[in-house]
Amino acid sequence: MSDPRVGSGLQEDVGIPRFDDRERAVEVAPAKEPTTPAEWAHANLFSSWANGIVTIVAASALGFFIYQLVKFVFVGAEWAVVEANLKGFAVGPFPLDETWRVWVSAYLVAVLGGLSAGASRNRITWTKTKTATGSLLAVAGAVIVVLLVDTLLVLALGFGLAATAGLMLVAGRALRERLRRPLIVAWLLSFPLVMVIVVGFGGVSPRLWGGFFFNIVAATFGIFVSFPIGILLALGRRSSLPALRTFSVVFIEIFRGVPLVAWLIFSKFVVGLLLPPQMSEPPDIIKAFIVMTFFSAAYVAEIVRGGLQGVHEGQYEAARALGLSTTRMMAFVVLPQALRSTIPAMISHFISLYKDTALFVAIQVTDLLEAARRSAVGLEFFGRIKETLLFAGLLFWIVAFSMSRWSQRLEVRLGVGER
Amino acid sequence: MAEEQLAGDGASHMIVADDVKKWFGPFQALKGISMTVAKAETVVIVGPSGSGKSTFIRTINRLERHDDGRIVVDGIELTDDVRNISQVRSEIGMVFQSFNLFPHLTVSDNITLAPRNVRHWPKKKAEEKAMQLLERVGIPEQAHKYPAQLSGGQQQRVAIARALAMEPKIMLFDEPTSALDPEMIKEVLDVMEELAQSGMTMIVVSHEIGFARHVADRVMLFDDGNLVEEAPPDRFFDDPQHDRTKLFLSQIL
Amino acid sequence: MAQAVPTQQRPPLWRDVRVLRLVAQVAFVAVVAIVLRELFLNADFNLSRRGRDLSFDFLRTRAGFGIKEHIISYTSNQSLLRAFLVAATNSMFVAGVGIVLTTVLGIFIGIARLSTNWLVRKMAQAYVEVFRNTPLLVQVIFWYSGVILTIPRIQDSVSLFGVVFVSNRGAALPGIEGGADFSVWLLFALAGIVAAAVVRRYRTRVHDETGRPHYRFLFGTGAFFLVAVTAYLLLGDPFAIQAPEQGVRNYIGGTQISPEFVGIIIALVLYTAAFIGEIVRGSILAVSKGQKEAAEALGLRPGQQLRLVVLPQAMRIAIPPINNQYLNLWKNTSLGFAIFFPELINVTGTIVTQGGAELQVFSMVVLTYLGISLLISLVMNIVNRAVALRGAKL
Repeated sequence: MSDPRVGSGLQEDVGIPRFDDRERAVEVAPAKEPTTPAEWAHANLFSSWANGIVTIVAASALGFFIYQLVKFVFVGAEWAVVEANLKGFAVGPFPLDETWRVWVSAYLVAVLGGLSAGASRNRITWTKTKTATGSLLAVAGAVIVVLLVDTLLVLALGFGLAATAGLMLVAGRALRERLRRPLIVAWLLSFPLVMVIVVGFGGVSPRLWGGFFFNIVAATFGIFVSFPIGILLALGRRSSLPALRTFSVVFIEIFRGVPLVAWLIFSKFVVGLLLPPQMSEPPDIIKAFIVMTFFSAAYVAEIVRGGLQGVHEGQYEAARALGLSTTRMMAFVVLPQALRSTIPAMISHFISLYKDTALFVAIQVTDLLEAARRSAVGLEFFGRIKETLLFAGLLFWIVAFSMSRWSQRLEVRLGVGER
Repeated sequence: MAEEQLAGDGASHMIVADDVKKWFGPFQALKGISMTVAKAETVVIVGPSGSGKSTFIRTINRLERHDDGRIVVDGIELTDDVRNISQVRSEIGMVFQSFNLFPHLTVSDNITLAPRNVRHWPKKKAEEKAMQLLERVGIPEQAHKYPAQLSGGQQQRVAIARALAMEPKIMLFDEPTSALDPEMIKEVLDVMEELAQSGMTMIVVSHEIGFARHVADRVMLFDDGNLVEEAPPDRFFDDPQHDRTKLFLSQIL
Repeated sequence: MAQAVPTQQRPPLWRDVRVLRLVAQVAFVAVVAIVLRELFLNADFNLSRRGRDLSFDFLRTRAGFGIKEHIISYTSNQSLLRAFLVAATNSMFVAGVGIVLTTVLGIFIGIARLSTNWLVRKMAQAYVEVFRNTPLLVQVIFWYSGVILTIPRIQDSVSLFGVVFVSNRGAALPGIEGGADFSVWLLFALAGIVAAAVVRRYRTRVHDETGRPHYRFLFGTGAFFLVAVTAYLLLGDPFAIQAPEQGVRNYIGGTQISPEFVGIIIALVLYTAAFIGEIVRGSILAVSKGQKEAAEALGLRPGQQLRLVVLPQAMRIAIPPINNQYLNLWKNTSLGFAIFFPELINVTGTIVTQGGAELQVFSMVVLTYLGISLLISLVMNIVNRAVALRGAKL
């Protein structure tokens, strides 16, 4: 993005060379880049009286806040509540002896993720600051994990996961381009495969899914299934047939205009009434997933519609002039261009959906947030809500933040808007 | 127009337009165009902007639907019949002012997309044809580049090759060089000239007077939705009959 | 090859483009109609089997349950319809207050994001990254359970100057107690606003004609206060400001706000402000650099550049996405359900428990959310057009 110092109005002029009255254009040397910490502080923090005061006030507020936070985390908090409930946070009421299924899925994702990261053309430039923060975070993460996990097996599996991802990263770097096609196919198959692993062969019904696992799976399911529906709705909204267009508009506006919580509760109480009486009522969670899918599809439709609008009219004309049928035109010419430009918005929508999965508590699903809340209500750890919330919040945040960063890098690489 | 003329005598009339009219809302863009194009003929249409030239050639391949009158292409009448439309389109190739190449496909893929998906040619045959056409327009080495990597003139030549890949009997050109930098106009016009000389039936909407003089069999002036004058180039440019033509020529020459 | 051309005739129906389009639409509408009919019949059958129906009569029955806080008056003796309206107005009140507060905070954050002060910039960035990427529900529960319920009990209320109290029972602020002539005074206040507008116009004209600084904001506010204070004195105490008192179990008097309300408002405002901040920042950056350079070249100071050139253009870019955020805030009031704030979802849940009628209640919920969303969009559209006309040309 462009210069962040664009006029804030809180600041005096940075020196601008002006023509002096002697009518000689004086060539002014470019502003010296601050090199020492003192110079830098002067330029960025204390460049004027007003600025200086602002810095002091902000710094003291920040200092106070950090002090309180650190005091809480290291002194006041009782982290045993997290340690004791870790399984609940991770998978909720999932039966303990079936958790191997979750581990297998996690390893699958780690393998694919590592390979993709390695094979990607996205290179992170490892500046000194980045390496320093990166290693610090990695060490901190490892320490936290060791402190919180009490079972040796889980600890080993956890570190094994990280190691696998790292290994796959190296492998991905080595294989690069040859992996691109197979990886795309692999990712597309990964979700159905995970479903088979978790549910198949005497597996665990969705009714028992919970914790962090549930949030991730629900969001992924939502995106996967709503994607094709959303594309159809977007095409319908742009159709020249009024009936199709009206239907799409009404569908989209109704699902977008009502909060997800209301839809979830609707799915629990009302969907059953609308089904034929001979049919046995599907479990709550299935109904909720269906409703959530339509909800997500409405948003996807709007995103895709934006993408379609970005495709030049001439592309449609050229395709038609060549004799391509409407379906082929869409499949080979229009949609590939439209969808590529929507990738950042799609990722943003996925993040929103992922955050929204916390709302499933409304239909008695014990996702990560609900697990966090419940663990602070039992006798043993009564009132320890701050610790559990902080932990749960952090887990949610890490995923959302990483995805958002990734999306920002993608946006730059795709040069969205340039073609 | 007499029915026999519409039917065509032998192979001579490729395109017949009879009193074609078109409205955009209250605005009448075509006010009754009647003309014919014979096989292997090259017709150049000139005229001020807004005169209906582009609209007219777009009605010939149904990118616009004519509201009145009749259009017959190679004996097939252009109506609301989906089969007719499809047949007509398969006989006509079109080149646009803004090239409209598919940016996400390579040059070669751009050319082979339609033959493979509409005529169901096998990949190898389509790619060989693509290379032949790229040779013909002079840029075989660009086959695996993407459109954004080519100059404007090269892109337009690819667009011509793409249209030719469908083996059309008629080629329509809608201001093919208007979006090009001056130094690239010649390379495209040269390709179009070669095409005309090889016997392609062509209708070209253009401002390139040199091309019209040199290559056209007939030149037509459109103005305000009407076909004002048509004549072989010598007579059109040197001895125009209508005042409107004289005015137009005085403005551009 | 040319062949004998058929005289102009309609193409066979099954190949006629226009007929095909019509048929496609009719078929589509038919399918949708059949599905809807199926759903309706199922509902009807299932309901009658349970001894219920699709009427709205249940709305007239007595509610029989209490609602903790309400903007409009309510007792448990009133109808279920009344209860619904109370819940709806509660939600709308939260949204209204929330929208105002979050806009102010959001603009502040957006500008802070662009500050030349590194510390301020980084803090604003941290704020946005934290609040945007944490689920709103986590934030709601955090503010409510983690903060508000853990602050001191009423006996140990934190108090500011003896007139503002905060405890885990909520907050109490000084409130306005209207006397006999309060409505009359309100009319005067309205007149004061009109007077302020007139004075502002006058000062602007003076400024245009003579170039003297207009100070129109000062003059305008001055005019308003002149009228308001005069009216107050003339009417003799049309209202009094009542400070709350700390009682044993609760507060007495003043304006009281429940902890649930505080919880949901804080969470909504902080969360949405992060998004609005990004929108503000993005729209200021989107105003082309050339605009700022031109303004600078003309000699305008940075503050003036921002106010006169950049912001008016940035506002036009910002309004549609901000509209979206307002809609989100309105829909997110539903998260109050998690902390038992009596908003629409919560109360309609109770209504359904009392009187059944899930389908009817749900359709009312849908209509309410959609209706207010439409209202918000309408208002923002008017704002958009007003700004567009006053600002730079397209």
